[in-house]
Amino acid sequence: METVFLQERQTRKFKDSHHYTADTGYTLLPFRFHRLPDEREILVNEIGDYMVLPAGTCARIIERRIDSTQPEDKVLYEDLVAGFFITEQPVPDLLEVIATRYRTKKSFLDHFTSLHIFVISLRCEHTCHYCQVSRVTSDRNKYDMSRAHIDAGIDMMMQSPGRNLTMEFQGGEALLAFDNIVYAVEKAKLAAVKHGKQLTYVICTNLAPLTDEMLAYCKENSILISTSLDGPAFIHDKNRHKPNASSYQLAVDGIRRCREVLGEDNVSALTTNTRRSLDYPVEIVDEYVALGFRNIFLRPISPYGFATMSANRNRYETGRFLEFYKTALDKIIEHNLNGYFIREDYAAIILKKLLTPFPVGYVDLQSPAGLINSVIVFNYDGAIYASDESRMLAEMKDFTFRLGILGETSYREVFYGEKTQALTDVMVNESLPGCSACAFQGYCGADPVFNYATQGDMYGYRPDNSFCQRNMQIIEHLITLMEQDKRIEKVFRSWITGKS
Amino acid sequence: MELQVMDNRLTAIVDLEVYPEPVLFKCLYWYTNNYEVEITKVSTVQLKCTIAPKEASATTDWDYVISRLRRDLVDFKLRQIVSDETKTIRELLIAKAFAYYDQEDLPASGVTDPVGFDPQSI
Repeated sequence: METVFLQERQTRKFKDSHHYTADTGYTLLPFRFHRLPDEREILVNEIGDYMVLPAGTCARIIERRIDSTQPEDKVLYEDLVAGFFITEQPVPDLLEVIATRYRTKKSFLDHFTSLHIFVISLRCEHTCHYCQVSRVTSDRNKYDMSRAHIDAGIDMMMQSPGRNLTMEFQGGEALLAFDNIVYAVEKAKLAAVKHGKQLTYVICTNLAPLTDEMLAYCKENSILISTSLDGPAFIHDKNRHKPNASSYQLAVDGIRRCREVLGEDNVSALTTNTRRSLDYPVEIVDEYVALGFRNIFLRPISPYGFATMSANRNRYETGRFLEFYKTALDKIIEHNLNGYFIREDYAAIILKKLLTPFPVGYVDLQSPAGLINSVIVFNYDGAIYASDESRMLAEMKDFTFRLGILGETSYREVFYGEKTQALTDVMVNESLPGCSACAFQGYCGADPVFNYATQGDMYGYRPDNSFCQRNMQIIEHLITLMEQDKRIEKVFRSWITGKS
Repeated sequence: MELQVMDNRLTAIVDLEVYPEPVLFKCLYWYTNNYEVEITKVSTVQLKCTIAPKEASATTDWDYVISRLRRDLVDFKLRQIVSDETKTIRELLIAKAFAYYDQEDLPASGVTDPVGFDPQSI
């Protein structure tokens, strides 16, 4: 005889709400973490907010051991909820807010390619040993950009979807082809009116060939001047050798004249830090202060072009650069604490990412990468490159990042062509090995050209990648400084707000 | 995890239930600049990881390496847990963030209604 099991009759009656509630207490939201050397850890959420917490907190969060009912956890729990690290609902009520924040962080993509670099001439009268491109002093026809290429470059620039565009003239020494600059500006002005674009013009120059007529033209057309100043004369003149003259004196005189005519805010200077420079962090900072600058950009030397050929002088370990950077940063902070506002630009870029919801349009620290998305380079010979560094590689006869030729390749072929599409695989640090789990991913970027130039591989190999080491350490250092001293945090905040 | 140092190389037998394969690979990736790393399957539930200095003559502080490995494995496992648990919400977040970029698709053909209702009249 079969045994009949009588089952309890199922009803459609609603069960008590406890039946449907998971008993985990809270749900995790996406975040990453990084251990600090001092036994603390940094938690960074998907939209770039961070918290510095005692070691082991991350494990406690993940194992659901943060108990909001316990007095010792109450504040932490509330901070984690408010900071979008955890949520009390399976899908947070403020998901739209988080999504909007995420979209804002990536909104630099809305502007697409805004920076257009015209390498107006390859000619230069300096003989800098670390020059990342090349220099030739003669043969104007061969090494100046042709008018046809200028026209085609302007045509392509006007096809950019962005309304606010920057047209930057580089060299060689751009002022040696000033007639070409005038031609380009006049053509671009007319085209901008026709296409409804707002143009900003920048000339990158060592200032040596600067004349009063040039300055008057810059004033008339609101052209910004970007120059190089590597520090005091004993550094600058050695780094930037000009036969029979002091490059330093010419640069300093030029800066003074530019300020007089164009106004202080319309001339900026960049440092290039060679191996020699690394011994003088304080002297370099003090030189900028002495000259009245309110910002300084402590860049490491780029591993391209002639810079790689002078190995003994220029190849230095990332560790030495970081030591230099930290010492210089200390000096800059000291000046600020003493009442003199001066900002370090690289730190300011990272701090803006750390402390605000807004994106930064700095090409080297973007994901998707800044090349093509933010910048495009038209070389003196009409070749189109993905970034400034790409054309420096081309000077070494490596044309990997050449995207076409002005006048021959269409806008669509350059920006959406096969080469660009292939590059997109390596342009997003969210999916790069080593970067995908990194807490600092949102503050950093992808730089396939740097990876290719230094490691022979566009993906890069993070364990000994100097881009990774440098950025990891600088980001960690900036956070540590702010955590250690609230006065420094105030200084840093003034760098991104402009208010002290 | 069973750990053994012999002939200047560290062997770790790892239980896949504790440290799944992606955790191991993500963790050991960071050792490959200084060490030769090999991962082989011992059984369906275990993997063997071998770590040896790239320069055979190099002196290695194995106590430090073991301590670092234990800590790194835990860290990468925690990261994996967060990544797995938040995968859906992350996708939702990104989809929502960029949904506004979608162009509204206008119908390619004219809109008609068989009962004679004229949608254009609204």
